[in-house]
Amino acid sequence: MEALRVWSLTTSQPLKHLFRLATATTTATSSVRFVLRCSSTAATTTTTGGRNRRSSSSSSSTSDKDAVRAIRLKKVEELRSKGLDPYAYKWDRTHTANQLQDIYRHLGNGEESNSESDHVSIAGRIVARRAFGKLAFFTLRDDSGTIQLYCEKERLVNDQFDQLKTLVDIGDILGASGSIKRTEKGELSVYVNSFAILTKSLLPLPDKFHGLTDVDKRYRQRYVDMIANPEVADIFRNRAKIVSEIRKTVESLGFLEVETPVLQGAAGGAEARPFVTHHNSLGRDLYLRIATELHLKRMLVGGFEKVYEIGRIFRNEGISTRHNPEFTTIEMYEAYSDYQSMMNMAEEIVSRCAVAVHGKLTIDYQGVEICLERPWRRETMHNLVKEATGIDFSELGNDLKTAKEVTLKALGIDLENKDKSSIEASPSVGHLLNEVFEIVVEPKLLQPTFVLDYPIEISPLAKPHRRHAGLTERFELFICGRELANAFSELTDPMDQRGRLEEQVRQHDEKRAAAAMDTNSVEGKSNKDEDGLYEVTLDDDFLTALEYGMPPASGMGLGIDRLVMLLTNSASIRDVIAFPVLKIQQ
Amino acid sequence: MEGLVVPVLGGSPAAGETLSKNALKKELKNKQKEEERRRKKEEKAKQAASMADSRSKKSAAADDEDMDPTQYFENRLKHPAYLRAAGEEPYPHKFSVTMSVPEYVEQYKNIGNGEHLEDVTVNLAGRIMSKRSSSSKLFFYGLHGVAAKVQVMADASKSDLNEEEFSRFHSTVKRGDIAGVKGFPGKSKRGELSIFPRSFIVLSHCLRMMPRQKPKAGSVSDNANLKKEEAWVPGCTRNPETYVLKDQETRYRQRYLDLMLNKEVRQIFKTRAQIIQYIRSFLDNRDFLEVETPMMNMIAGGASARPFVTYHNDLNMNLFMRIAPELHLKQLVVGELDRVYEIGKQFRNEGIDLTHNPEFTTCEFYMAFADYNDLMELTETMLCGMVKELTGGYKIKYHANGLDEDPIEIDFTPPFRRIDMIEELEKMANLNIPKDFSSDEANKYLKDVCTKYEIKCAPPETTARLLDKLVGHFLEETCTNPAFIINHPELMSPLAKWHRTKKGLTERFELFINKHELCNAYTELNDPVVQRQRFAEQLKDRQSGDDEAMALDETFCTALEYGLPPTGGWGLGIDRLTMLLTDSQNIKEVILFPAMKPQDEPSAKGTHFQFGPSPKADEDLEVAKLGISREIISALSLRLRCLSHKCLQINTLAAEREMMYEHVDKCYDKLLKDLQEMRIKCCLSSMEGEVHGEVVPENDL
Repeated sequence: MEALRVWSLTTSQPLKHLFRLATATTTATSSVRFVLRCSSTAATTTTTGGRNRRSSSSSSSTSDKDAVRAIRLKKVEELRSKGLDPYAYKWDRTHTANQLQDIYRHLGNGEESNSESDHVSIAGRIVARRAFGKLAFFTLRDDSGTIQLYCEKERLVNDQFDQLKTLVDIGDILGASGSIKRTEKGELSVYVNSFAILTKSLLPLPDKFHGLTDVDKRYRQRYVDMIANPEVADIFRNRAKIVSEIRKTVESLGFLEVETPVLQGAAGGAEARPFVTHHNSLGRDLYLRIATELHLKRMLVGGFEKVYEIGRIFRNEGISTRHNPEFTTIEMYEAYSDYQSMMNMAEEIVSRCAVAVHGKLTIDYQGVEICLERPWRRETMHNLVKEATGIDFSELGNDLKTAKEVTLKALGIDLENKDKSSIEASPSVGHLLNEVFEIVVEPKLLQPTFVLDYPIEISPLAKPHRRHAGLTERFELFICGRELANAFSELTDPMDQRGRLEEQVRQHDEKRAAAAMDTNSVEGKSNKDEDGLYEVTLDDDFLTALEYGMPPASGMGLGIDRLVMLLTNSASIRDVIAFPVLKIQQ
Repeated sequence: MEGLVVPVLGGSPAAGETLSKNALKKELKNKQKEEERRRKKEEKAKQAASMADSRSKKSAAADDEDMDPTQYFENRLKHPAYLRAAGEEPYPHKFSVTMSVPEYVEQYKNIGNGEHLEDVTVNLAGRIMSKRSSSSKLFFYGLHGVAAKVQVMADASKSDLNEEEFSRFHSTVKRGDIAGVKGFPGKSKRGELSIFPRSFIVLSHCLRMMPRQKPKAGSVSDNANLKKEEAWVPGCTRNPETYVLKDQETRYRQRYLDLMLNKEVRQIFKTRAQIIQYIRSFLDNRDFLEVETPMMNMIAGGASARPFVTYHNDLNMNLFMRIAPELHLKQLVVGELDRVYEIGKQFRNEGIDLTHNPEFTTCEFYMAFADYNDLMELTETMLCGMVKELTGGYKIKYHANGLDEDPIEIDFTPPFRRIDMIEELEKMANLNIPKDFSSDEANKYLKDVCTKYEIKCAPPETTARLLDKLVGHFLEETCTNPAFIINHPELMSPLAKWHRTKKGLTERFELFINKHELCNAYTELNDPVVQRQRFAEQLKDRQSGDDEAMALDETFCTALEYGLPPTGGWGLGIDRLTMLLTDSQNIKEVILFPAMKPQDEPSAKGTHFQFGPSPKADEDLEVAKLGISREIISALSLRLRCLSHKCLQINTLAAEREMMYEHVDKCYDKLLKDLQEMRIKCCLSSMEGEVHGEVVPENDL
């Protein structure tokens, strides 16, 4: 694609015509040159356009970049001509930078350790260099940290020192071996005896002082982000730590990890627009899962008592700082337990992860101090709404009209239009309660809070409350105004379940029909109302499974990305996903 | 769908066995059954009158099992409502379990025969998989939980209920129900560990009829079931033909039944979890970092396969499901995470067969400063360590030639054999392949060889594909024990680094076990210039019709220009490894919910074939009816497959083209706009008497 774009730029014919020509006539042999030539010019053209629009904002312009690239490509040739491999096969390192810093922390300034055992070998990327007449310093960084390379002309054989000065650039990956020396200024260094360029880099690293501030580019080229901002890598290290801690926690409690399918005939277990794809040889459309719930419950029917899955979920929704179309959750199910015990589980998991990352239970998130000391607040949704608004929904009964009037009267003045209309659109008192909760209470739940006992209308998979009619045994965990976990005593009654799912489908179809009517009457506005237009199917197999009997159980889903955001103090979900989905580059 | 499920599950006692019977017989049987049903209904009405009599109750219980499953289901459906009407919650919220069934067995297995520990109280819960009664005051249940079993001896004299309540309650408990039992431990005089309930509640009702073992096997008493059958462990052989539930369709579609009824199945998935756990801790111990890379991408790169396409509504763009995480993981190594791995799903839009499922799990890891020699050693260490830990030895048994033949033995003792691909191929087939593999000469030579040995290669006959076929024919066949096939030609391995000494080859290995590829690894190609060339060569194959050739990923190539350290990369198919260690010949055995063909809709009555338990038999019948020979059918279906394949290619190409169009269109628009802007600027600046240097060449456009 890149190639096409460029090629067409260099000519004056209409583009589309050219494109057809290109695909039709490019012969096998010419294609090689075609791509090569084009890609080298690609960068230039894109930025000349860019510069015109953004005048002088970018510090390292692409023409500079191209110049660097050309120079470095020459160096690659030069290395080859000298019989050196610019892309080495292997390097045996004895230590990482941090290990050396640790082992030799007591070495005094100006001292050198030169015994046989002090002969070390390291490898990493050159991130800084200073060269003088017969002396050169490089800063080498690896996975673990940095260390200085101390290079003296006399120490190195042949013309190696000159090579160092002329052929090594910032960004190259170097292997070096030698003894250990701490400079007079106190910098621990490898006193280099020999070195090898392991990988010659062709592009300059982003400007050290500006770092990589172009947010979009940071996500598109995560590797540059990580090279320029080493702390970014720490987020992903912590992410791995968190996932591993979760796994350890649940496994120590006897949970078994299973894998359920991503591609499904019917997407159930949540209310969200699914992705659709097509399996060619089966000749059928498949949905990408929007939750793992229904399959994990089948495992309980099958006789597993504690199962979990950590995996990717896909939802065909807009992207934001809180939403990525694919995200990771853990869902866990335990037979013979109820939502009360899942609350303990949530506390256990989150606090263990916090300790794994921070070593303590008080953490800072975007300037707010969060205390994860147990126990966490547990309050019913009704009480929280009553506390915040004064409306007691338990007294309102099932009269939707009055309830709406009361609500609008109580909140009337502060409401934004959007919120007002969503209140008015609520199809039931349960929905209304939830709307009010989301508008008024949710943003205020900064400290960890379990919100209990959701209305049955919005909880199609939860068991009815054992004491309160119209409610379910369900909780959501909120920290920093964000939903982190969702759990309930699972509905095990197949008839009740069928009724609720059918009702869900019916409501959805109604919405769809309404939306379709809308689009018919108001042409052109169709895109806006698309939301209701996807199909919701009933997972009949799941209902059959329930008819074989599922033990009383509780289950919980916990958003791992959001937990990582919380524990790494990241403002956007894109900061904790290595390669987030982005809009097509303009 | 229901319609299909039910007959399979066994209307008659022998239903589990009727697989091979044809539909006509089935029809006949249905009629018989219906009659039987009618008869039974009448009988039942009579029996209802004399419910108190224990003898009749017993036969009622037996009747349940003989009942038509649909009828059974319909009857049972009323039960929860009935309970509710009586003021009882049919699905209690919580039953506090004090001990799991295996814990119970472990703790009380040593008490003496006939001993009762009446002052101990234990709460157990599980599924009732068998029920017997010797009188209205004594019921025996087999309670199963977490792969263990204990007998529940419900004795009216030990119960909190009075006799009448007791017998009424227990007559409603059915096989398959989930029960909670509160009682005390004890052993029967015959030495069977039991629990004697003081209270007994049903926590969840099994509304459908549980498939049952064949009567002859069923006559074996519960006691015998308890006798330790040889417990299956990884590395041993397995025979699904001996399972209680044999029908493959049912086993895979309703895995929960499979898990309930076939004890070994549970162990398979436990083994799978252990394998993944072993790999994870193996890599964690070597300082690898587990990461997650996207499953949906703008380009499906990193392997040669047809991807799934989906569409993101909000962003208005097509996304491809990943076929391999390779390119992203290497970008992370560029980003200075020196050792990374990912265990996750990959997706390939390909046919389903014994070794292929559209989604499958792999582990890929990348290790900076290592090469393929290091990785071979690491592979040996990992696999033999794993086999040793899971099976206790280095040798496993596997039914490589079907269940009828004796199993073969696969020996994981390191070191594994190493086979230099081209060298060995030339030796075995007595060839002399032209050394420039990309030449037409080499292509022609290989074509001739394939013809000579009658090895079929579906078009396009690219050199890479021809070589692959030859290697499959000559080398892979010899790899029963683990063996590395190494040093593949460049054109077969667009992402592998050229061999340091052997021209035209790469530093790559594939691990074969039992003739199947299990691992694929190489010293990573990190020269961006060469990488672009390789992609270009792939493009050439693509244009010659190989739509599985790799697509160019510009982001990845740019990443390489920032410098990828020398790196070894490695991938392993977890499903296939699990198959080996669980003696599974079908990948569906090791995937909880494998992809299945859509079930036939239970369409209008009359077409009885569709409901038959064996699709094969129906097909045969239909074919016979129409008088078409099998050969014609298979030829036609082959043709159909070819056609749909072509269709697919066209679709994919069209999709790509459309995307390109869009892209070009946008670029064109943007260019026009830029041009316009420049013109305006140019005008403005020329008015000011200044012309920007850059504008001039652009203006030539």
